[in-house]
Amino acid sequence: MNRRWAGLALISPALLVIVVFFLIPLALSVQSAFSAKGGGFTLAHFEKSFELYSNDMLFTVAIVLLSCVLIAAVAIAIAGYLTLGEHERTRNALRWLYRWPLFIPFVVTGQVMRTFLAKNGMLNHVLVGGGLIDPLAAQSLLDWRGIVIAFVWKQAPFVTLLLAGAMASIDTQHTEAARNLGAPRWRVLLEIVLPQVRGTLLVGLVLSFVTMLSVLSVPLMINPNSPTMMTVDVAYRISTHGDYAVANALCLISLLFGAAGAWVYLRHAVQKAEHGQ
Amino acid sequence: MRLLALSLAALLATAPAAAQTLNVITAGDQNMVDYVNNFLGPRFEKLNPGVSVKAVGTGPGDAGSQKIYEKLSAQSKAGNAAWDIDVAVIHQRGAATMVKENLLASYRKQIATDALVTRDTAKNALGTNVDGYVIPMFHSQIAMAYNPDVVKAPPKTFTELEAWVKQNPKQFGYNGVKGGMSGVGFVMGYVSANSGLGKTFEEGPYDASKKAAIDKSLAGLKEFNKSVVMTPGNAGTLDMLNRGEITMGPVWVDMFYTWQADGKLSPKLKLSLTEPGLPGQPMYYVVPAKAANAAIARKFIEFAASPDIQAEGIVKQFNWYPGIDAQHVRAKLDAKSWDKLFTDIKPETLQRFGRPFPLSDYFTDIVEGYERVVLK
Repeated sequence: MNRRWAGLALISPALLVIVVFFLIPLALSVQSAFSAKGGGFTLAHFEKSFELYSNDMLFTVAIVLLSCVLIAAVAIAIAGYLTLGEHERTRNALRWLYRWPLFIPFVVTGQVMRTFLAKNGMLNHVLVGGGLIDPLAAQSLLDWRGIVIAFVWKQAPFVTLLLAGAMASIDTQHTEAARNLGAPRWRVLLEIVLPQVRGTLLVGLVLSFVTMLSVLSVPLMINPNSPTMMTVDVAYRISTHGDYAVANALCLISLLFGAAGAWVYLRHAVQKAEHGQ
Repeated sequence: MRLLALSLAALLATAPAAAQTLNVITAGDQNMVDYVNNFLGPRFEKLNPGVSVKAVGTGPGDAGSQKIYEKLSAQSKAGNAAWDIDVAVIHQRGAATMVKENLLASYRKQIATDALVTRDTAKNALGTNVDGYVIPMFHSQIAMAYNPDVVKAPPKTFTELEAWVKQNPKQFGYNGVKGGMSGVGFVMGYVSANSGLGKTFEEGPYDASKKAAIDKSLAGLKEFNKSVVMTPGNAGTLDMLNRGEITMGPVWVDMFYTWQADGKLSPKLKLSLTEPGLPGQPMYYVVPAKAANAAIARKFIEFAASPDIQAEGIVKQFNWYPGIDAQHVRAKLDAKSWDKLFTDIKPETLQRFGRPFPLSDYFTDIVEGYERVVLK
């Protein structure tokens, strides 16, 4: 009995933090999203959210999913080379380079992309200077493409980090056997290595999905106009209209998207536990 | 021993009066905090030994004022006897809300600079009577910036602008309604001009049935938007103008001049004020109803609204239009500094076409209409 109380006492600070700073605000947020001005239950705030922001909801999900796909491709390529690459110096250089964006906050990423991707920005200057594109063909990437580029640039290293770690811990016998039998490296990567680390990849992508869903700074700095991401709409409802009700309704909808990610994550974690991996 | 106790008591008695902190909280961009911390604060401290001025910012746009409102409202609801903000600098919408909810002190009659402020914005904030509660710190104005190399004669009216945009696709840029007030102001100007309801928007009374007319002119803006570039924010418009990606766009006049002075914007760019007008707004100095240091707060505002400070700080160093009546400020300035503010837009033009923002309810109808009609 004593031990049980001791256990409870030990977790109580953590529990308290969750209750006070997460569950209670969440409950208040839910309450505000469903409360009419004079009190009483209403769905009006959700109606308004869908009336004004349904495009932005689709846009948000599409942007984040597309980013996830690209992040996966980049992460597999980099982690694959780090594991299977044969040129020692390139591998070391890559290992050193790819982590840089990990240490750069989203808001700085947004700021950097703003000047990098503009119509007369650095990217186009380089392309025009290198004779790769015609000056008149230069276009601004500061729209949905800018957001995707910023997300992939920022999140790919994170997934790569997890993935490269997982790949490094695979038994090398498998890959060596395949190589001995004459498989090219890309086949070894896709058919031998990747299936063994797909759980880690999934976890990395789910975490990135939820993170990107909640980023305000990047869409705000790159493309705050329509269509834009839901975080911008939430900030806008509060700052311009002082309208917490619709903002909370939007947050709850975005929470549902995040919950879908969490569901995938948990299902995977349960599977892992059941298989005793 | 007794002597020691006595001197200690004396020390304690004088200490609070000698070291007093005046808490100034300001909405708006970083330049607002810089203005108080680097310009106004040190000068006030020199005149009032023992007082130290501490300023913090709450961020740009109405969001900044909203945060100040929430803080004061919370202290009021908690029943606190003394609130920890002595002077606040807020936008019109914020001032209207705070006056309605009795969060502000009516202080203006108690200070000497009261007589220097007669402009209508000192009495009326978006339809709410704020007379006595506020003194404008400065006025700012949205105007059309353009590149005279490409645009020889900028469109004079919104009708001309529409025609120009059709002839010069993707040369005009603005930041929509979610990326800062210069875009919001442009939308207000467009709807006022297009619907012919400008006077009603400014003076009221509010009539919800005007929504149809608003939506109708917004449909025109949807068409207009097909030929323009959307920019990322107030600064985004200036950046794109500077890089030559657009040749015209609505900007804040003070940002425009400050960026030019800092070398961040081409000195060639010019300003014009499209008829029948674009909105502008003041920022207000206010004193919360239960400010802990109300007496010093009033002294601080009196100082901040004095002609010398308005001339040197507001106009000369920070490129804002003065908050108090212009004639009191002009006398304190050399002709060059004064003219700089009015090179492109003459005072009489500003007088005629510098409009206030619409009343709060119309304001909401227009931005929400924009989301519903233009963005969908």
